[in-house]
Amino acid sequence: MTVRLSKAWLGLIFLAFLTLAGCSRTATSQPQTSPPSSSQPSAKSETAKPSPKDSTSLEQLREGQASSTESGPLKEIYFDYDKYDLRADARETLKANAGWLKSNASERVEIEGHCDERGTNEYNLALGAKRAQAAKDFLATLGIPAQRLSTISYGKELPVCRESTEECWQKNRRDRFVIMTGRPAS
Amino acid sequence: MMKLKIFLGAILGILTSLTSLNAQVKGLIVGPGAERYPIAVSPLKNLGQSDDTKKLSEGIADTIVRDLNLSGWFKVLDRSAYIENPQSTGITLGSFDFKDWSVIGAEGLVKGGFTLQGEELTAELRLFDVYQGKQILGKRYTASAKDFRRIAHRFADDIIFQFTGVQGVFNTRIAYVSTGGGRFKEIYVSHLDGTERVQVTNNRTINLSPSWAPDGRSILYTSYKDGNPSLYLFDLFAGKDSKFSSRGVLNLGGKWSPNGKFVAVTLERQGNTDIYLLDSGGSLVRRLTEYPGIDVSPTWSPDGQSLAFVSDRSGSPQIYIMEVDSGKTRRLTFSGSYNTSPDWSPKGDRIAYTSRVAGRFHIFTIPVQGGEPQDLTPGSGDNEDPSWSPDGRYLAFSSNRRGSYNIYIMQASGENQQRLTASGGDDKNPSWSPRLE
Repeated sequence: MTVRLSKAWLGLIFLAFLTLAGCSRTATSQPQTSPPSSSQPSAKSETAKPSPKDSTSLEQLREGQASSTESGPLKEIYFDYDKYDLRADARETLKANAGWLKSNASERVEIEGHCDERGTNEYNLALGAKRAQAAKDFLATLGIPAQRLSTISYGKELPVCRESTEECWQKNRRDRFVIMTGRPAS
Repeated sequence: MMKLKIFLGAILGILTSLTSLNAQVKGLIVGPGAERYPIAVSPLKNLGQSDDTKKLSEGIADTIVRDLNLSGWFKVLDRSAYIENPQSTGITLGSFDFKDWSVIGAEGLVKGGFTLQGEELTAELRLFDVYQGKQILGKRYTASAKDFRRIAHRFADDIIFQFTGVQGVFNTRIAYVSTGGGRFKEIYVSHLDGTERVQVTNNRTINLSPSWAPDGRSILYTSYKDGNPSLYLFDLFAGKDSKFSSRGVLNLGGKWSPNGKFVAVTLERQGNTDIYLLDSGGSLVRRLTEYPGIDVSPTWSPDGQSLAFVSDRSGSPQIYIMEVDSGKTRRLTFSGSYNTSPDWSPKGDRIAYTSRVAGRFHIFTIPVQGGEPQDLTPGSGDNEDPSWSPDGRYLAFSSNRRGSYNIYIMQASGENQQRLTASGGDDKNPSWSPRLE
């Protein structure tokens, strides 16, 4: 009796070659200087390179910048552990942010929901999404049109602080507001 | 091209007449806590003319040893204690002395031989019962020399079948997320013993939650490579990556139903995080949960009738079970205020999950009908994201007990916890493949 190996095995071998090929490609290209691909819209192709406080947390990761704690005109809000309801201090900050958004009525903003390091990745991604949505909903009640606000969750993936202390965890349990005007709408 | 790939991977396992049908030893090892069976694994005899430049003699034996150790059923005797010279004795009954093995305490013995012609490797492996002086199992395999580990894994699986009545799981892989020491999180696949590691994604962003298709051909994963977290399907066979679901803010944790017809995912739509059913092409079938808070991390029952998932509808994350057709839902976990990342055992009887205990995270299992949860990782760092082996006898999980996160496996009882990876970075989110043959 002869047993032939499954196709999955073969694929894994094939994959090894592909990965090697992929590595050699990326090793020679510089993300900052390579021209943007026409099939993938890039923010950098349309605007000057944003300063860290104007970059999304994903852009900061790609550029190798530390996650920003620097504030633009829109201030971060903070959450209690494992919660996504808005604290009194967060509501006050959101009112100030709404004031800026009203006097800068052409600006679009992405709200990033973040979590501290504790707990599993997937649940924290859901939690971050709820945190971003909570701010969006509150800003809507203050008269900011929903189409000016998008949300994204980074869960616990992009912390600003990496120590296992409550002070650090509090800094990470946040919504960050990034001005997206001038970038292609997602 | 297709022919080439098949040629590259061709391994022929010839079930030879070496197998002695009457020497059954099934059931010798019983359950957790039983004494481990002392076994010796001799380096293989070089039966050919050429020198063993590829170190196949010890390479095959080492791989079998590693597998048997990982299994938790065996105590593999240290090679330095072996008396016999494998190159000067035979590998068949009567051509070596069982006393050389009984005096060092071996009850089982693995011996074998190989020949290498060009790149073609032929290996013959035999399992003996030292006390009875009998052969229990014998097999001959041919493969490309670089695939010598697969021969060893196959024989290890056969040894485990002989002793436990269930085929071993050493012809499987683990997909996981690793920083590899850098700042990006990419998906990797490696063999259970950490060898043959392959990087699947290379998009320099965040990639999470890999999950195998039931046929082992492809992996679903969540990636930020196009901005918002979307779900992608990587076909390991074709080496092809495609977008599977990109809806709204969040596309998470795709899990194939056991029959391969559906994928359960977490989507966020209109500000709500809920479980949805997609078809095998990624098209929306229907929404499964309606709760306005968080519903996340679905896992299928092996019969495909139910899903376990996490919801914060009680005020804290807890595990719930839903009948997919009727939508009837019940709460499963009641102890602790943080229970997440469920994985339903392929045996059907238990669900493994992550639970917070006094500020740390432990792996628990709980009977599907409810009852007393069992803590499998008391007092050893944070332990997260359990994933069952296809036979339901082991769990892979991530732990930071040695500083950075690594992938570990343990028996379903929590015994025999062993580290699999050591990438230098953080290794997380393991997903155990189905059997790959």
